[in-house]
Amino acid sequence: MSEFSVIGRRLPKVNAWAHLTGQARYADDLFLPRMLYGRLLRATRPHARIRRLDVTRALAHPGVVAIVTGADMPEKMGIMPSTQDETALAVDKVRYVGEPVAAIAATDEDAAFDALSLIDVDYEDLEPIFTIEEALEREDVKIHDTSKRANVFKEVHLSFGDLEAGFAAADHVRDDWFFFEGNTHAPIETHSAVASYGADDKLTLWTATQVPHYLHRELEKVLGLPRSRIRVVATPNGGAFGGKSDPFAHEFAAALLSLRTGRPVKFTLDREEVFYAHRGRHPVKMRIRTGVKKDGEITAVHYQSFLDGGAYASYGIATTYYTGALLTVTYRIPAYKFDGVRVYTNKPPCGPKRGHGTTQPRYGFECQLDKIAVDLGLDPLEYRKRILQPPNSRTVNELRITSMGLGECLDALQRATKFSEKHGQLPRGKGIGIAGSAYISGAGLPIYWNEMPHSGAEIRIDRGGGVTVMCGTSEIGQGSDMVLASVTAEALGVLPEDVHVVSGDTSLAPVDLGSYSSRVTFMAGNATKDAAMKLRALVVEAAAEKLGVPAERLLTAYRRVYDHDDPSKFVTFTDAAVLAESRHGTLVAAGSYKPPKGIGGTFKGAGVGPSPAYSYQATVAEVSVDVETGTLTVDKLTTAHDCGRALNPANVEGQVEGSAYMGYGEIVVEEQVFRGGLHKKPSLLDYKLPTSLDTPALEAIVVESVDAEGPFGAKEAGEGPLNPVIPAIANAVYDAIGVRFDETPITAEKILDALGLRDNRRVTKDRIGPDGLGDGKADPKRALRRLGATTDARERKTVGGLRPPAPD
Amino acid sequence: MTVLAGGTDLMVELNFGRRRPEHIVAIDRVGELAGIERNGHVRMGAGVTYTRMLADAGSQALAEAARTIGSPQIRNAGTIGGNLGTASPAGDTLPVLAALEATVVLRSKAGERRVPFADYMTGPKKSVRRADELIVAAEWDEAGPAQTYMFVSTRNAMAISIAGLAMVVDRARKRVGIGLGSCGPTIIRPADAEGFARGLFDEAGWERPHRPSESAAKELGRLVAAAARPIDDVRGTAAYRRHALAVMGARALSRVAQIA
Repeated sequence: MSEFSVIGRRLPKVNAWAHLTGQARYADDLFLPRMLYGRLLRATRPHARIRRLDVTRALAHPGVVAIVTGADMPEKMGIMPSTQDETALAVDKVRYVGEPVAAIAATDEDAAFDALSLIDVDYEDLEPIFTIEEALEREDVKIHDTSKRANVFKEVHLSFGDLEAGFAAADHVRDDWFFFEGNTHAPIETHSAVASYGADDKLTLWTATQVPHYLHRELEKVLGLPRSRIRVVATPNGGAFGGKSDPFAHEFAAALLSLRTGRPVKFTLDREEVFYAHRGRHPVKMRIRTGVKKDGEITAVHYQSFLDGGAYASYGIATTYYTGALLTVTYRIPAYKFDGVRVYTNKPPCGPKRGHGTTQPRYGFECQLDKIAVDLGLDPLEYRKRILQPPNSRTVNELRITSMGLGECLDALQRATKFSEKHGQLPRGKGIGIAGSAYISGAGLPIYWNEMPHSGAEIRIDRGGGVTVMCGTSEIGQGSDMVLASVTAEALGVLPEDVHVVSGDTSLAPVDLGSYSSRVTFMAGNATKDAAMKLRALVVEAAAEKLGVPAERLLTAYRRVYDHDDPSKFVTFTDAAVLAESRHGTLVAAGSYKPPKGIGGTFKGAGVGPSPAYSYQATVAEVSVDVETGTLTVDKLTTAHDCGRALNPANVEGQVEGSAYMGYGEIVVEEQVFRGGLHKKPSLLDYKLPTSLDTPALEAIVVESVDAEGPFGAKEAGEGPLNPVIPAIANAVYDAIGVRFDETPITAEKILDALGLRDNRRVTKDRIGPDGLGDGKADPKRALRRLGATTDARERKTVGGLRPPAPD
Repeated sequence: MTVLAGGTDLMVELNFGRRRPEHIVAIDRVGELAGIERNGHVRMGAGVTYTRMLADAGSQALAEAARTIGSPQIRNAGTIGGNLGTASPAGDTLPVLAALEATVVLRSKAGERRVPFADYMTGPKKSVRRADELIVAAEWDEAGPAQTYMFVSTRNAMAISIAGLAMVVDRARKRVGIGLGSCGPTIIRPADAEGFARGLFDEAGWERPHRPSESAAKELGRLVAAAARPIDDVRGTAAYRRHALAVMGARALSRVAQIA
């Protein structure tokens, strides 16, 4: 029998019924009296100076009430305080097609839409930059004046251990280039926000955001309105995946237009606009050099990444570090060097998407490990098991590892798929592949430097036995409200349906940093548990007195406080709560959570990578390739995921399956295509995502390593499981047809190209992928040489970066 | 004046502001357009939806083509008349109508005229239909079960075909029809490929199923691909389209020849 009454049970999410029946209230479902409707005018040029912006004609259009432009909100903003390079609406210059330039509020949507074409903008075109190579080289064109070198946004270099000695000790060195294509989140719900400036002189913004607290700060900064007069309410997000974790133009525009007009203002982006708002997966070119001994033991890894950041910073500084930070937590790496460069280009800004910055290098690295296994004649699954980073250890880049269940994941996969019996043994056209991965359970540092908790929760017990939990988390469909309800219910001995969840509201709930970096279960879970355990002590103490039983012998479950030795001796939770309130007054408690100190290094740049715990996971992909048409069919994806403890196994499996689906889409079909800076596929018809008819059979295996610091032992489950899917499929395709896909996506056309069927020349290839930088007009060799030079000169002296955690 | 049936094409145009017609007349409840008559000859009203074609199309290939279109919601709304009205080379039912040698029935106040499908399309989204004419039906002779529709796409639903191929073998009339979609300005009939296939059936006997040789299937595919006039676009390259047509031609022949 389980030691828990709620944890570990397959309970429906507390909000499942509302979502299932369409009763969940999203931002766009809100209608307020006298509400105005907003539309954004978006730039039609990839890179241009705004010579003149005239709204006179648009203002005269019937129904138009107010218009704001960049000049009304010139304050710089952006999610990362150290790299704020955006304004709410473009000021003087536009940097990508689709960048918001002006915002209209009108009495109805049609009037706002029609008035867009009446805003006169006179652009002076500047030369645009679209590729990583051009951005690295072109000193004559500056997308942002702040770039010291060409159009480099950020350059980082970190080195750990003795790299030279590591490579010298290697029996075999692999040196491979990879390219990971950019892609976008495509949540079902498009971004939406409603602002209302009321007679109480306060502004409320209901918005589909993952980060109500960070948005609260940026609203204060841009609007010049004290935070005490602003309330942000994160409405249920209809999917987010990282795409709603920046402050966005429409949020500021709604707020300012409401302040100006005294009327509520709603903005709901259409699907095309979501492709411009973007902040999705960075396209990344990577070079990975790995040295191994004959038995496969890694002696050194040198990883370099070149990120195409698009037009603005977004989370780019963190993304850049993340491409290098987490490669070390899965397998033993004694010497490691990381060079990362993120550049600006004239395309919609890239940012965090599920797996933030770790997805691309994990793809490259796991593909390379597969090559090493082939080179050395090793079974790829057994090989990985042999080189695992041990639990309760430190990585070469000083990350603290606690629970580590990757080995168990690999064992579970072998049992479920018979990988080792099938690999290399299937007929041509059939393949099986494997890859491992890891992810953080919340970032170790907040995005702005402070010593306060990362998550706070407040719980109140009412006189009828109901419990209200308040926490600043944002429900984005991942189940964060259910985590709060489950943890509260388990700790107090009630059921999730007894718990009222108030989340994502900056006025009602204590700060939680937001639903990003897979931090909610671990951090908000711990904060909630902390608060609940304080109340539990009061309730149990009152019950103990009533029953005449020592408090330590009492258990709480199923709305009872009962004697462990004689469960027939009990008081109901409601009666115990009444007794406790009679004695102590109103039953309210607050809890908080902050990651422990010392979980990462103290060097500059050490701020990205540390986490109180890492999830581990591995995927086996089984594929079929039609060698005549080039059609790739993924037959099955089996993922084993170490989530510490499954607070709700159904929810964990949902996250693992959803991740598998998303990763599958990224490697088989998704790509961002631009022509002259213009997105060629800004619709769900042309930007292909897999449908239910395409999706492979999915299996999720839950592995529980029970983390010592996680709430009831839990770690993250929302992002990590995406990562191994992508390289597992690429490795399976190699097993099927003997072709390495060192770039994504793996399309039918590329498969035909490799099989020599694309044209009559019949030239076959054993690899599709980049050989270096150099698709643009720039001189890649020079760029690389320069990068190499700076690398050597700046060993361990990284510029900028997040502030490191203070030493103990 | 613009007519609206299922709206799966027109509403996209309206929503993107590409068209702003003064008047729209909805014809989705005109019962006379929604009938299917079958008596060896098929008359399919222009208002017949793709969903209805799945169950009752009077053509196996047409049912297969209908199944590839959009999602259940789109199939519930979209009609064969709409596919003809838009006249896109990517319209999934159109290669089938070409292979069936269907007739398009157009009606105006001046009367009715019947246009062979081969003369109907004149270019991408262009047809001989006059502005005052309404598409009322498509008609063809029932051709028996030896027919199929195939396509390649980047996904299995909600996609525009990169290339599509319909093949109809009418064993009774000793006729082979092949229609190619998404690989030219109009639906293409590969005459050489059709002639080659007729020769194969002459040899093997029209009345009974046979398994074509690999080399025959390959040659048919080659002739199909040679007739195509594809372009490079955001969905696929011309070379890929040509290659896919060759494979589909070969596979379609192998499949259809084995159906009695």
